[in-house]
Amino acid sequence: MDEIIAYLPLILPILILQLVLAVIGLISLSKAQEVRGPKWMWILIIVLGNMVGSILYFVIGRRDV
Amino acid sequence: MMGLLQVTDLKKNFGKESAVRGLTFQLEQGKCVALLGPNGAGKTTTLRMLAGLLEPSSGEIIFGEHHSVTDYRKWLGYLPQNPTFYGWMSGQEYIRFAAGLSGMEQKEISKRTEAVLAKVGLQDAAKRRISGYSGGMKQRLGFAQALVHEPKLLILDEPVSALDPIGRREVINLLREIREETTVLFSTHVLHDAEEICDDILVMAKGRLAEQGSLSSLREKHRQPLVIVQVEREREALLWLDSLKSKPYVLQADIKADIAELTVHDLGSARDELMREATENRIPLVRFEAGSSSLEDMFVKVVSKQ
Amino acid sequence: MRSTWIFYRKEMLEMSRSFKLLWIPIVFAILGIMMPITSLFMPEILEMSGGVPPEMLSLYETPSSAMVMVQVLSQYSTMGVLILVLSCMNSVSGERYGGTAELIMVKPISSFAIIIAKWLAQCTQVFIAFGFGYIASFYYTYQMIGPLSWKSGLASFGLYGLWLILGITIALLFSTVLRGAGAAFVTLAILALLSLLNSLLPTWFSWSPARLTALASEVLVGNLLSVTSVVICCLITIGIIVFSLLSAARLLQKRVLPN
Repeated sequence: MDEIIAYLPLILPILILQLVLAVIGLISLSKAQEVRGPKWMWILIIVLGNMVGSILYFVIGRRDV
Repeated sequence: MMGLLQVTDLKKNFGKESAVRGLTFQLEQGKCVALLGPNGAGKTTTLRMLAGLLEPSSGEIIFGEHHSVTDYRKWLGYLPQNPTFYGWMSGQEYIRFAAGLSGMEQKEISKRTEAVLAKVGLQDAAKRRISGYSGGMKQRLGFAQALVHEPKLLILDEPVSALDPIGRREVINLLREIREETTVLFSTHVLHDAEEICDDILVMAKGRLAEQGSLSSLREKHRQPLVIVQVEREREALLWLDSLKSKPYVLQADIKADIAELTVHDLGSARDELMREATENRIPLVRFEAGSSSLEDMFVKVVSKQ
Repeated sequence: MRSTWIFYRKEMLEMSRSFKLLWIPIVFAILGIMMPITSLFMPEILEMSGGVPPEMLSLYETPSSAMVMVQVLSQYSTMGVLILVLSCMNSVSGERYGGTAELIMVKPISSFAIIIAKWLAQCTQVFIAFGFGYIASFYYTYQMIGPLSWKSGLASFGLYGLWLILGITIALLFSTVLRGAGAAFVTLAILALLSLLNSLLPTWFSWSPARLTALASEVLVGNLLSVTSVVICCLITIGIIVFSLLSAARLLQKRVLPN
């Protein structure tokens, strides 16, 4: 456990990256006029699905306009 | 007058189907010409070949001195029936992009983009994303991208048919302005639109050119004396009406129940003759009209004859 | 030349507006960082999840830093390639079937210029995403596990990057003939087949582009590579890339646009 705390400065960025990814997903979702499936579903997927949720949204949910 | 575009025996086959079966015509510089024909006549195919989107199966297209579409693309403005843009761009960005691809200089791009967006009435929406534009706005943006590089020939595929009455009016007014500046070739299936915008028409049916010329000369050419007779629905009267089609002065008769449309040699003598016969046979006339056939009749006739 | 540049800028603008230029590098970075962290904390993670006998835990040895980087590359071979291919599968087909190509193809720009612009944009994407991810994972591995050779890291980056670029080039080629999903499927199938053949019959397929991934791993571990095999592999891959780009340009020009 001590080791984990010692390495916290290194682990923190990964959490931040995950957060940024989810935020970008949500911003993109809020701007999108049309997505495949309901928007609330994608919100859940992005928030709960971690990195994979956001990837799924960008690859499947987003429609290129 | 200078010939801008010379098309000779243009043909296009899709597999065994032939969409265009040998078109020959010439466009003069500064003219506004409508390519008129029913749906499926091959209008879009023709325009796409002129714009270089389709390779002709055979035939020749000469634009000024250029024999290959890659050489004259620069001088062409093209607007398809349903133009699609990048929704994530703003109207202004798209026009600048189109102008850049047409090879314009940076300084000119800014100037022309602004001018052309103002011309089509999109200056206020210029900075908005295209995904939020209405159908009419997209059509006007389509005009802007086709005009920004000041083309020598503007090709428009059904520019007014998909629009509501207001959008249609806007586009027709816009076209009237544009025709003062450049040569325009546009397709339509509505004769009225052609009459409203331009002076020359090419009538196309089933892949062939059925008729061409200025509207006034075609009106003259197809003005045929026409008599319309309607009678009471009585046995005697209907029999008489039917007998008219074998009269020597009747060229062509179109009889529907109690109404007969008679194309005649000479309006004066035919009218006298018909009146005399009607009185002699005591025919109960309901309507008697003497006049001439319209361009609309010509259009219908030409198209159905093919 | 100028129209290629204009089209390239449009592609880059599209990628940044659709957030591709942000989310793909972030995903690559997360994938890259995750590997050294999980390698180092594997015993703790297993302990927390429970159910693993302590004697097994004591047997766990933290892999060498080079091995961790090899594992990072193998992550990129699956998730990374998948994401890159999916992100460029619509590059041409989207324009053809969406209708935007109709307005572009009448402009005085050659189909070759369009393909090159799209390809350069995708290469930029690969460079940014793979570069960002690779640097991040290299830094983490260096800090958390142990020293690594900069030179072999760079060589491995180049070799593996070429494999990724081959992937997006094939995706671009099939995007000119198929719809997006079909293009992605065919591309992934080809890449998988190349990798499979290479691992089943390595001696027969020593020239195969899929060798690049193996070479990239070997150089990390510190094995000396045979120069001829590297050169042959690279030349063949570059040859396939050039051929694919020329074919894509030709197909884009010849194939009738859907109405």
